[in-house]
Amino acid sequence: MLDTARTSAPLVEMVGIHKRFGGIHAVEDVSIDLYPGEVVGVLGHNGAGKSCLMRILSGAMTATDGQIRVNGAEVTMATPQEAKIHGIETIYQTLALANHLDAAANLFLGRELKTRFGNLDDARMYAEAKDALRQLNPNFKNLKDPVAQLSGGQRQVIAIARAIYFQAKILIMDEPTAALGPSETAMVADLIRRLQADGIGIFLISHDMQDVFDLCDRVMVMNKGRDVGTFKIQDVNKDDILSLIIKGTLPDDWTPRSERN
Amino acid sequence: MSELPAKTRLRFLPSGSALHKFSAMMTLLLLIVAFSFTSPAFLTVNNGMTVLLQTAVIGLLAIGLTMVIITGGIDLSVGSVLALSGVIAGLVIKAGVPVLPAMALGVVTGAICGMVNGLVITKMRITPFVATLGMMMIARGLALQLTGAAPISRLGEAFGNLGNGSFFRIVEIQANGFPRVIFPGIPYPAVLLLVMALLGAFILTRRQIGRHIYSVGSNEEAARLSGVNVHRTKIWAYTASGALAGLAGMVLMSRLMTVQPNEGVMYELDAIAAAVIGGASLMGGVGSISGSMIGAFIIGVLRNGLNMAGTSAFIQQIIIGIVVIGAVYIDQIRNRN
Ligand SMILES: Nc1ncnc2c1ncn2[C@@H]1O[C@H](COP(=O)(O)OP(=O)(O)OP(=O)(O)O)[C@@H](O)[C@H]1O
Ligand SMILES: [Mg+2]
Repeated sequence: MLDTARTSAPLVEMVGIHKRFGGIHAVEDVSIDLYPGEVVGVLGHNGAGKSCLMRILSGAMTATDGQIRVNGAEVTMATPQEAKIHGIETIYQTLALANHLDAAANLFLGRELKTRFGNLDDARMYAEAKDALRQLNPNFKNLKDPVAQLSGGQRQVIAIARAIYFQAKILIMDEPTAALGPSETAMVADLIRRLQADGIGIFLISHDMQDVFDLCDRVMVMNKGRDVGTFKIQDVNKDDILSLIIKGTLPDDWTPRSERN
Repeated sequence: MSELPAKTRLRFLPSGSALHKFSAMMTLLLLIVAFSFTSPAFLTVNNGMTVLLQTAVIGLLAIGLTMVIITGGIDLSVGSVLALSGVIAGLVIKAGVPVLPAMALGVVTGAICGMVNGLVITKMRITPFVATLGMMMIARGLALQLTGAAPISRLGEAFGNLGNGSFFRIVEIQANGFPRVIFPGIPYPAVLLLVMALLGAFILTRRQIGRHIYSVGSNEEAARLSGVNVHRTKIWAYTASGALAGLAGMVLMSRLMTVQPNEGVMYELDAIAAAVIGGASLMGGVGSISGSMIGAFIIGVLRNGLNMAGTSAFIQQIIIGIVVIGAVYIDQIRNRN
């Protein structure tokens, strides 16, 4: 499975991850790794456990069992702060925005810029936020409105801007384009390619097969909490993936696509 | 042609919370005008200073409650904590400690009670309502137990300074030898309230902890995921509320020149009402010190004005109750639009 061209060590390895909620087995013995400059798609039906797996990596949730290694060293991910220290940034499916605060306050929440005297440097945060948001959406206005008053797409843009502003090494994108229009979605696709070229590793959760085939190098499919297969994107087609997502198995006649003909 | 004026007009329309503050301010002014007509003694310098003095205690409590309410919590214990802080200060003064360190200890007592509230709420995951209800009973019980429910008096001249002293007091000795007060002076409690309100507003708007207080009340999970230390933020808010309750206790007991373990019953409700009238939302994420100060003065002016007009204490309660509901109702209507 390992690409021979791949010389570097993995950025992240998640090994034997389990997550139980009472009787529910949300994630069951899942292992996955991520290399620099790689986009790995995490696919699966609703409730398959994709978000849980990613939240474990971002420190938002603790695993019931399993190990996480970053750059080869075993780490704990007890809090979101710890993940951020390891260079892991996350765009949450829920966006995780404080509705009463404006875009800049949300972008810098928990990592506020301060003046010499330790006061909030709102002017600088505003200017930086404006730059970061304009990169994703050139007509981003309402920077000073509480984000509750913004559209779903604008809110998503803030969540994306926040994740990339702090120069992540590992980026988790949980359905980052769910609320975006076509041009913003294209912008995010460009962004992903740019980050990839910079050597950043990306986990991408998406239900959009087009995006998955356009952007991902590898895909992992989850079904009822289990990893039912990890493939190089060249080895599978849309029907294979749909079969894995829905039934949890490949079509009976499957062989790796890149080795056919 | 027609679009431009519309746009400029929109610019001038205040945002939601500014509008609320504006209407609260108008209410306050309206009350002052109305009471000036009903009782001629209302709009005098002397009475103005009395209102300032009376509002200082509720105002101090309201600063702390505003912070707690913005985090999405509530602090029902401040009235009892105020009494306990007074009792501790009184007891140590009786034991021979000078007034200033004794009062400092009183404030620290309040801060400790507040910190316990914060720890119970975050570490034991008890809801703020229940945790501070418990503290309300514990602090009151302690205050009564430590004093045998009896007031502590004869605490010395110096103990009365904080509550009764004032800046710029001008007194003239008349020909007959009696003093005549030309200007009653600005009471220390009023100055203390102003200083603490400015400090509170500064912390809420200009400091990181203030930003975190708003974020926790707005969306606790989002704050946590963004790297805000939610527990620390809440503990900070409850500790500040407790310390301010301690400070309010010092002001009140000093004004009475005695420590009354029974003082401050139901003060928490006035302070909560002040914050709510001033635009704070019990759902969290919304509120301001300036709004709460206007709210505190609305309650203070109402009480004082109704008193002077000879309205009974019972009727006063009814009217203040209606004002609280009215303020929140108007806010609801505005938010729906
Ligand atoms: N906090 C929680 N408490 C209890 N059960 C949970 C919790 N979070 C998730 N689950 C359960 O874990 C399972 C996996 O949820 P998860 O959010 O990971 O799904 P998902 O693959 O991201 O789905 P979707 O495509 O809808 O986002 C679901 O059955 C869900 O009900
Ligand atoms: Mg999900």
